[in-house]
Amino acid sequence: MTGPTRLRLIATVSAAALGLSAPVVLAETPDDQLVVGFSMTNILTLDPAAITGKETVQVLANVYDGLVQLDPVNRTEVQPDLAESWEVAPDAMSITFTLRDGAEFASGNPVRAEDVVWSFRRLLTLNLAQASFLKTYGFTAEGAEQAFAAPDDRTVVVTLPQKINPQLIIATLGIVGPGSIIDSVLVTENEVDGDLGAAWLAQNSAGSAAFTLQQWQSNNLALLTRNDNFWGEPSTMRRIIWRHIPESQSQRLQLDQHDLDIAFQLAPADLAALETTEGVQIQTTPSAGFYYLAMSMADERFQNPKLREAIRYLIDYQGVNNAILPYFGEMHQRPISGGFFGLLDDPGYTLDPEKAKALLAEAGYPDGIDVTLRALSDDPFLNLATAMQGSLAQGGVRAEVITGSGEQIYGAMRERNFEMIVGRGGGGQLPDPDSNMRALIYNPDNSDEARLTNFQGWRTSFSDPKLNQMIDAAAAEADDEVRRQLYADIQNRIEEVVAPIIPFSEVVTSVAYRDDLNGFVLNPSWSTDLATVTKTR
Amino acid sequence: MSPTSRMTGFARQLGTIAITLLGLLVLTFAIGRLMPADPVRAIVGEEATQDTYMQVYTQLGFDRPLPVQFLMYLRDVLTGDFGTSIRTGQPVINDIMAVMPATLELATLAILIGAGLGIPLGVLAAVKKDRWPDHVIRIFSLMGHSMPIFWTGMIALLIFYAALGWVGGGGRISDYYIGLVPPVTNFIVIDAMLAREWDVVRSALNHLILPASLLGYSSSAYITRMTRSFMLDQINQEYITTARVKGLSRRQTIWRHAFLNIRVQLVTIVALAYGALLEGAVLIETVFSWPGFGQYLTSNLMTGDMNAVMTCVLLVGVIFIALNLLSDVLYRVFDPRTR
Amino acid sequence: MMTDDLPKARSVPFAALAPLGRILRFLMRQPTSVFGLAVIALLVLAAIAAPLLATHAPYAQDLSNTLAPPSAQNWFGTDELGRDIWSRLVWGSRITLSIIALVTIVVGPIGLAVGTVAGYYGGRIDTVMMRITDIFLSFPSLILSLAFVAALGPNLRNAIIAIALTSWPPVARLARAETMTFRNEDYVSAARLQGASDLRIICKSIVPMCLPSVMIRLTLNMATVILTAAGLGFLGLGAQPPLPEWGAMIATGRRYMIDSWWLVTFPGVAILCVSLAFNLIGDGLRDALDPKQMNRR
Repeated sequence: MTGPTRLRLIATVSAAALGLSAPVVLAETPDDQLVVGFSMTNILTLDPAAITGKETVQVLANVYDGLVQLDPVNRTEVQPDLAESWEVAPDAMSITFTLRDGAEFASGNPVRAEDVVWSFRRLLTLNLAQASFLKTYGFTAEGAEQAFAAPDDRTVVVTLPQKINPQLIIATLGIVGPGSIIDSVLVTENEVDGDLGAAWLAQNSAGSAAFTLQQWQSNNLALLTRNDNFWGEPSTMRRIIWRHIPESQSQRLQLDQHDLDIAFQLAPADLAALETTEGVQIQTTPSAGFYYLAMSMADERFQNPKLREAIRYLIDYQGVNNAILPYFGEMHQRPISGGFFGLLDDPGYTLDPEKAKALLAEAGYPDGIDVTLRALSDDPFLNLATAMQGSLAQGGVRAEVITGSGEQIYGAMRERNFEMIVGRGGGGQLPDPDSNMRALIYNPDNSDEARLTNFQGWRTSFSDPKLNQMIDAAAAEADDEVRRQLYADIQNRIEEVVAPIIPFSEVVTSVAYRDDLNGFVLNPSWSTDLATVTKTR
Repeated sequence: MSPTSRMTGFARQLGTIAITLLGLLVLTFAIGRLMPADPVRAIVGEEATQDTYMQVYTQLGFDRPLPVQFLMYLRDVLTGDFGTSIRTGQPVINDIMAVMPATLELATLAILIGAGLGIPLGVLAAVKKDRWPDHVIRIFSLMGHSMPIFWTGMIALLIFYAALGWVGGGGRISDYYIGLVPPVTNFIVIDAMLAREWDVVRSALNHLILPASLLGYSSSAYITRMTRSFMLDQINQEYITTARVKGLSRRQTIWRHAFLNIRVQLVTIVALAYGALLEGAVLIETVFSWPGFGQYLTSNLMTGDMNAVMTCVLLVGVIFIALNLLSDVLYRVFDPRTR
Repeated sequence: MMTDDLPKARSVPFAALAPLGRILRFLMRQPTSVFGLAVIALLVLAAIAAPLLATHAPYAQDLSNTLAPPSAQNWFGTDELGRDIWSRLVWGSRITLSIIALVTIVVGPIGLAVGTVAGYYGGRIDTVMMRITDIFLSFPSLILSLAFVAALGPNLRNAIIAIALTSWPPVARLARAETMTFRNEDYVSAARLQGASDLRIICKSIVPMCLPSVMIRLTLNMATVILTAAGLGFLGLGAQPPLPEWGAMIATGRRYMIDSWWLVTFPGVAILCVSLAFNLIGDGLRDALDPKQMNRR
């Protein structure tokens, strides 16, 4: 211990004992480390097969590679990742991927076709949250043996279990989670009782991307360190520290004080304040899903399409997007995400109480109706519900707002036990209109027993056999031009039959970061690549 | 008291402790099973299919009758198995062991501050009874006892971190120091000293000082009051007067005689105050993003992680039973009046 | 000293309440206790006159006037939905008072019942009841309340139940200790000889004798009740929005704390004042009585 250090230490300790602390100039974050603030409340596991929610995807995007990756800017494109090229068979029933030469996992094991096949089979066998991406298109645990094959070390053949557009499957394999390629050798070493490494992978990583998971503490932090065996350009960051900071104001303070480089979960008020803060930048990008107003067709009144149409004219589209949803959402009226294949222009609905009143009268409710309107008690839902209550009242729809936790609000929706709800959702992590359609509209079995709770169509008791058929056909169609026309027809039909879910805004993600970061580009599918970020000071 | 009667007294005490513990287990089990949050939904996510949901539901044993579930719980606890956390998939006990050092580090510094402040103030208040120092100390310590600590924490953070930049913000150290010193004791200050990473030591103290001072202040209220009352008892006793008559100085009488006589009582009071800091920690950790026991408990309450909540409650109960037992034993061993 | 204050004529149990008047007179002589009493009086007044004192309706939103700083229009500013904070604080005093009142109403009888029965019968009944008491006593009140609220569901009613469930044991302990000193008194034996039932003896002879000290113990507890309720509200496990409970107001205000200090400052000061007031009164009471008697949990 050198003299001055000891003195300083003694000074600090004695200051601490006095209940005072010497003023210390707080340093910036180091050049070779990235400190990221976000909420870890939704992170239950870091096993790619079992994750839920966007926060886990944000972390794991820097730990696991897929065969392909989704382009952060052009949402209809996929880019090579572990696969350097791929080819669709002439009958469009299989895809052959050729793996990059010389890629290694962080453990030093080579990335072989066998690992790829093992990862997909594992996903389907475990049948956890992420399996549904592939199950939607007919892949099953039983059929996994046939669907994924590795004829040699560098070739992977994916055989489609049903007629489906191969681009859809390629894009699905670009999603972090279902598409993540796992080091089968390493995981098998840590397998317990044939769990396919589920217990071990919840806490550890076995990927090939630029970083590895060094430490994860639930609701505290995830610590990533640079993977020295990475096959690509090594990151200039030695470590990425993901810190659980659930309060927006704390994130803002720490960003302000140079203790954070990136703040992922900020409230609009704080984003607005940071917009004018020296040295802080804000990036906004479209994300997955919509804000919507939904009605339950289990309520007999809403089976009347005239009534549903009336509601359509009682939303102040412009108003809520300008007043409540800055940084949260952008005006959008179609149930297909912005930038997706086949999206039509907005139909241009506006708040029109007179038209709504006429429609209500036509529907047999000249005196209006009384409904309940559910919303989460968080930002922005509470404010949205308040605004909706106001605009609905203009047309004679008297809404009583019920607010509560996720369990009380979405739980009731899952039980089909609600009248109206202001919600958020609707797919879109897979950058294809099929993802939106299945999340919002598709409903193959409208019976209560079916419990297709993952389809919001089922939750709202909406089932249009013709639309189901059209959605299936569009997903299967291999020809782009024909497919584009099919989605146009679907969108028109949705407006014509007045589906009970009315999107009024598209979810956007807004992130604030210190302006000494370079190369920070948000990915709309949440899989933001932080390996290419550098600091200039 | 004869050795044999002391032994039977001890055995009886053990028996009552066993019964208390069993009652505690019934209580924690009841709390766990009453919790309305849906742990299965938390695992499978919002968009999972019904068969995935049911698969996990059966896996966790929720389909069996309640008494069976309680017996299973009892057996597990007796064999040292507190279940796995639904959130993390890890044994709950491991999770708690991982967060406990953070709370202990905070509470230890807090109790040092609390006792360091409370005991001298208590003695002073007793000596100056009914004069102005006594009144000032009374108001000061009652303030500490009355403040909503979560609120004071927020205000202090705004002043000392956001406005003045004197102390660190949330967390135990600046985030970029995390994982730099090898964990030996898991007390970051000590580990960093062992590793001779003085910047980390400074960062850790910088982050500790504010929450620890607030907690220490709030617990000093109790310590001050008790010290004052113990001291008054002593001062009023005859031998003190005798000592004074014998010509010892006032200061000597107070510190050598009166204070020495209350040291055992003080130890038990400080021990109880140390345990009570767990309560303040729940609130202060939320405000300071402190990754300790309190934050672990509250975040698991919100997400409905039954096993974690049950074990936390059980642990707090056991700690308090142990502390009460400790103070009983201390009294019995050292207090001349009960001997 | 309390024992000196006890009336000689114990055959008239209700005379036991007489010392309370004497205690009140003692309190009025101390400036700190007077301050405490004044704050509590103000609180009660605010709760009663809330409709008159409030300048706005506590739930009235004004989305065009959100997060406005204190002004002549809104004395303590407005919150994120444009609601007037002064009015919400005033109405919130009703919630605070009802929490205190309800907890006291629940805790007093439970503690008295458990304590007197255990103390009167002694033996096995005493052991069992005191074991149960010990289990509850072995928790800091906030942590046990947290667990109860989590089990029962977060709302104001359950928060009150949870706080009550955690605060009866000290009262029971006290009542038991008192009962044990009274149970062999002459007038109790006399009642027994006259053939009075146990229930009658407990209700008519023992409970009234325990009442003064139990009531004082309950007063000492009120600051803790307020802080626990506010802590629960702050953690989102107590009163739920839009109720103007002070702790919950701080919890929501926290989201806007940096730019709008008034959202958290005023409710915090209100909690501090009221809990300080109760503590000051409690401290005065302790001086008025035997300190060791009252310090016991």
